[in-house]
Amino acid sequence: MNGGESEYRIARFRDRLAREDVAELGVRVEVRGEAILLTGTLPTAGRRDEILRLAGAELAGIPVRADLLVACADPPDRPEDLS
Amino acid sequence: MTSAASPAFSGKWDGSVVRVAAVGDIHLSPDCRGLLRPSFETLPLCADLLLLAGDLTRHGTVPEAQVVAEEVRDLGVPVVAVLGNHDYHSGQEADVTGVLTEAGVTVLEGDHVILPVAGGTVGVAGAKGFCGGFAGRSAGEFGEREMKEFVRAAHRAAEGLHRALTEVSADGCAARIALTHFAPVPDTLAGEPVELYPFLGSYLLAEAIDEAGADLAVHGHAHLGTEHGMTAGGVRVRNVAQPVIGRAFALYHLPLAARTPDAGQTSDRT
Repeated sequence: MNGGESEYRIARFRDRLAREDVAELGVRVEVRGEAILLTGTLPTAGRRDEILRLAGAELAGIPVRADLLVACADPPDRPEDLS
Repeated sequence: MTSAASPAFSGKWDGSVVRVAAVGDIHLSPDCRGLLRPSFETLPLCADLLLLAGDLTRHGTVPEAQVVAEEVRDLGVPVVAVLGNHDYHSGQEADVTGVLTEAGVTVLEGDHVILPVAGGTVGVAGAKGFCGGFAGRSAGEFGEREMKEFVRAAHRAAEGLHRALTEVSADGCAARIALTHFAPVPDTLAGEPVELYPFLGSYLLAEAIDEAGADLAVHGHAHLGTEHGMTAGGVRVRNVAQPVIGRAFALYHLPLAARTPDAGQTSDRT
């Protein structure tokens, strides 16, 4: 992976995530060695799959590792006491 | 400046609390229909009100707002919201507000609502807020028209919050909550890239909170941040972005203080 070229491709991928149809600003995109690491939390598994599909298309040729979580929709098990 | 000390430490707390549920950044769209409703339906059992800290939709469209509306309609507890930057994206923020209002949500922008709870009243002052950065590392109102307008937007947002909080204090509410989307302090941004901090919040919001007085400040926006922070004046700040709290909502038990209806001063309740 050419360092200069990959930097611009990653920047374009970040811009793509922020654009209108995707509108996903909560995914972190970082270079880790020869690979790109995606981290963050998405509301649904479908949104996570969408990000992974987009990464495959926009970052073709660059190894992509993903640790994307799906947000927990359960109620909390206890309150925080602010007294 | 109003003292931000907890009523528990000022000797004017009788043990009553308001149970505050809060979440932001739920980013709902039609593919998420019903996602949070089962958890929200437990709210009457554990909370007195639900706060929504903005970015309720993905693109700020009416169909997305309708999904949010159905998640929170007729929950059995008051729902108070501010919008976030995503809710403005399509230029339909007035329509988004209208859809939420029709579902019974109180949507705040530079104004406030007073809610009766057991043992007193809770006042919520809300504003989306804006970015601009934090003390010593913030943008200045200088140079190009675009730059000056950017900074003026941050000032206007903070002025709206200050005005609303002042009104809440004047009403003598037993608990005063500042609700924003953007962060008032950098504490709750820890985990976000430092270079992004100027786009995640503004110290002007914290200044408004400390000057006008509040017992709790709740915000969202920073998905990679942390939950806990505090203003320079000692007001607790909570980042309730859903990816941060890792639940459908966070729950806080906030003490109710006895206050006289003027400048938010505490008084003995006898």
